[in-house]
Amino acid sequence: MLPIISPSTKLAQIIIDDPSIITVLNRFGISLGVGDTTIEQVCAEKHMNVAFFTTILNTFRDPSFFPEKILNSFQAHFIVDYLNKTNQSYLQFQLPNIERHFNLLISKSDALNSNLLIIMKFFTEVKTELMRRIDDDKNRWFPEILALENEHGNTHEGTVPPTDEEHDSIEDKINDLVSMFVIHLSGDYDVNLGQAVLLALDSLKKDISQNNRIRQRILMPLYQALASK
Amino acid sequence: MNLKVAIICSDTLSAMGLKSLLHSHFNLDASIISHEQHQLLADMAMSSDFDFFIVDENTLVQNLNFFLPYRNKVILASPSRNNENNHSLKTITTTLPVESIVSALGKILKSSHLPSQKSNSLSAREIEVLKLVAAGKLNKEIANNLNISINTVLTHRKNITAKLGIKSTSGLSFYAIMNGFIKP
Repeated sequence: MLPIISPSTKLAQIIIDDPSIITVLNRFGISLGVGDTTIEQVCAEKHMNVAFFTTILNTFRDPSFFPEKILNSFQAHFIVDYLNKTNQSYLQFQLPNIERHFNLLISKSDALNSNLLIIMKFFTEVKTELMRRIDDDKNRWFPEILALENEHGNTHEGTVPPTDEEHDSIEDKINDLVSMFVIHLSGDYDVNLGQAVLLALDSLKKDISQNNRIRQRILMPLYQALASK
Repeated sequence: MNLKVAIICSDTLSAMGLKSLLHSHFNLDASIISHEQHQLLADMAMSSDFDFFIVDENTLVQNLNFFLPYRNKVILASPSRNNENNHSLKTITTTLPVESIVSALGKILKSSHLPSQKSNSLSAREIEVLKLVAAGKLNKEIANNLNISINTVLTHRKNITAKLGIKSTSGLSFYAIMNGFIKP
């Protein structure tokens, strides 16, 4: 089990322990080539809240890390800002990365392998659903939370927060996509590209899963508490 | 190779030639189905009895409605090379030398759309449930349709997910399409 990340932990050690965490660091403006900077130093340099940053990193890295009490102590706009950056990362990097590798995989594989085209169609459906959720976050749910926090919210009748079912559905579908590659892929295909798509999907799966924990267990209760005031 | 192949060609000699070739090069005992008889195969094919249908152009065109849902299983045997670039259909050119036909067939048979033999295969009842799930039926509707209890439906669904590693209705639908259980 990995040690809990603290303010004195070096960024390099965090990335070496779990390279997939670089996608989270990118959202805070940190990219590779971190030298021997510690969390505390980078937060001072970028004017970030140290406690919030370490909590997000620990939440991403360890599924058994329960950040509820800690994250509840932050204002909603910290979490909304992070989730906005997460959504942008899906749109700008992770989804296009999967799509690019998937298209290459199809073009470099046996044209007779119709399985790949069917799985690609499934991926497109999941992507569309995720983009719809991101759009709803950006244009409806997040602005409403921020308005409530700033006490600009008026009546909240008719507003419907995203349901857990929707989140589970996207998570389930990404899990299914990974299963299709791991268990059901058949025929001739480019092995390297097949594995590249799998790794890109798995990275998104982990991210979505941690994202959903923050959405459902932190932001949703915060939203409900703000709305009931 | 453990595949079940049906040859449905209007030209009997072509059908016999393909059967002989499949036997000598791939150790497959293909079944020759007469042109008129193949409509009877619908139910058998739905039960995945055949892994591939080798058909000529006439048979394919005259029976498009039958073959469309199983297009992943169809191998078009054509004398013309024009169909080779048709990426939506597996094709062999019957006028080429034997080695070329064998090579093309080998590639197709190897790239079988079938799920890996290593995966747990579904029972006939589970396939029935899968088809209804993929058709968007609710558990209650599936129970009524198959005349079983909702608990039994839930048990089947749990077993399907455990065997396939696929949980969502969309995922199950795409799996069903990949395996020819439902039309795309």
